[in-house]
Amino acid sequence: MSILEVRHLEKQYPKFSLTDVSFSLEAGTITGFIGRNGAGKTTTIKSILNIVHPSGGEITYFGLPLVGNENAIKQRIGYSTGTVNYYPKRKLKELASVSKTFYGNWDEESYRYYLDLFALDENKTPSELSEGMKVKCNLLFALSHRAELLILDEPTSGLDPFSRDELTELFTMLKKQGTAIFFSTHITSDLEKCADRIVYIRQGKIVLADTKEGFGEKLGLPGETLEETMLRLEKEAREEGTR
Amino acid sequence: MKKMLWKEIRLAASPLSFWFLAAAALTFVPGYPILLGAFFITLGIFYSFQTTRENNDIGYSLLLPVAKKDIVKGKYLFVLFIEGCGFLAMTVFTLIRMLFLSAAAAYTANALMCANFTFLGFVLLIYGIFNLVFVGGFFRTAYKFGKPFIFYIIAAMLVVVLAESLHHFPGLGGLNGFGFTEIVPQLIVLAAGALLFAAFTLLGIKNSIKRFEKIDL
Repeated sequence: MSILEVRHLEKQYPKFSLTDVSFSLEAGTITGFIGRNGAGKTTTIKSILNIVHPSGGEITYFGLPLVGNENAIKQRIGYSTGTVNYYPKRKLKELASVSKTFYGNWDEESYRYYLDLFALDENKTPSELSEGMKVKCNLLFALSHRAELLILDEPTSGLDPFSRDELTELFTMLKKQGTAIFFSTHITSDLEKCADRIVYIRQGKIVLADTKEGFGEKLGLPGETLEETMLRLEKEAREEGTR
Repeated sequence: MKKMLWKEIRLAASPLSFWFLAAAALTFVPGYPILLGAFFITLGIFYSFQTTRENNDIGYSLLLPVAKKDIVKGKYLFVLFIEGCGFLAMTVFTLIRMLFLSAAAAYTANALMCANFTFLGFVLLIYGIFNLVFVGGFFRTAYKFGKPFIFYIIAAMLVVVLAESLHHFPGLGGLNGFGFTEIVPQLIVLAAGALLFAAFTLLGIKNSIKRFEKIDL
């Protein structure tokens, strides 16, 4: 059974639409979600979390449809949509003390561990954190309740190379513990390091959802890195569009 | 839902929501349109919606393991909590006026509305309108609250004017009775106010859940 199954997801906006987005995630795998800015990564992530209301399609987590099971499903997943952009003047420990009451599986030990790992001071407020630290703060909350699936929107954006490296190592560690990770990024080197699977989206449509190796075989040219493949494909698509 | 109420009190609530509960004491002021006390209490709640927006509380709530409808219910619970505290205080003050101060010269010479069961019925009507028009209007966008608040102010002020004028109409003088005289028409108004409060609040919750579910955040 897939941990997450997205089938024929649709979302229509006046000038953009997600069309027939389908993919699935398995336990203990890291899946990178790539595409250029505006391709539909954040809309897809928000749709599968019901933050954006999808126009159609089916979303099931752990075999349960999202509609009607939001509470139970969200207890088992962790997600972060970018940086901490809420309660800028509240201390992190105040936010944590409220958040933890909602999780039956809140793990104080994990919370302390990641607090330490990310070098976050819980007496600071989000407004006192740099952009990179705000990303880490959101990750801290997402990681502190033993989630079986982590859905992260651009978790490495704004992080310095050292922190990015630490984070991809952390992903690998969590994967070994059986956690599935789905994260969007436009920094392809992060995927080279840790991803097992890649979901590639362009103009609201999934171009390919496959293993990293399968992605290289089907879309790459001999000797090309992932980044070079992506750049070539996007250039080709742009040229086709202007013809 | 207890957790949602706690979250509202701990993070989203403006201290002004609690401070404005003191407006319940306007119930004692003679020669003053005392229904404005209920309006000021809702004004205090309005400030919590302002802090909700300023602090992106909706963004925070969406990260919690709760359904979207629970976010709406949490906001309503907080609103009802403050309204309940205000109503309780106004009920106690009204009973003090009815039981012990009905003969006080300051009140007998009062041309405006008396604190009695009619007053409490209209307090509930104002609360109900707030829950339907303002809170329900806020959840159209979960962001804009200017227009819903203006509409609410207009409706609430019309209710104040209606309540203040009603007892001047022939045959309706009993609605403004002192003490416990002519209590039956007053109890009818209180019951009607309670019914309208329940109906408007339930409709507000239903509308808000439907609207919030469809919003792209």
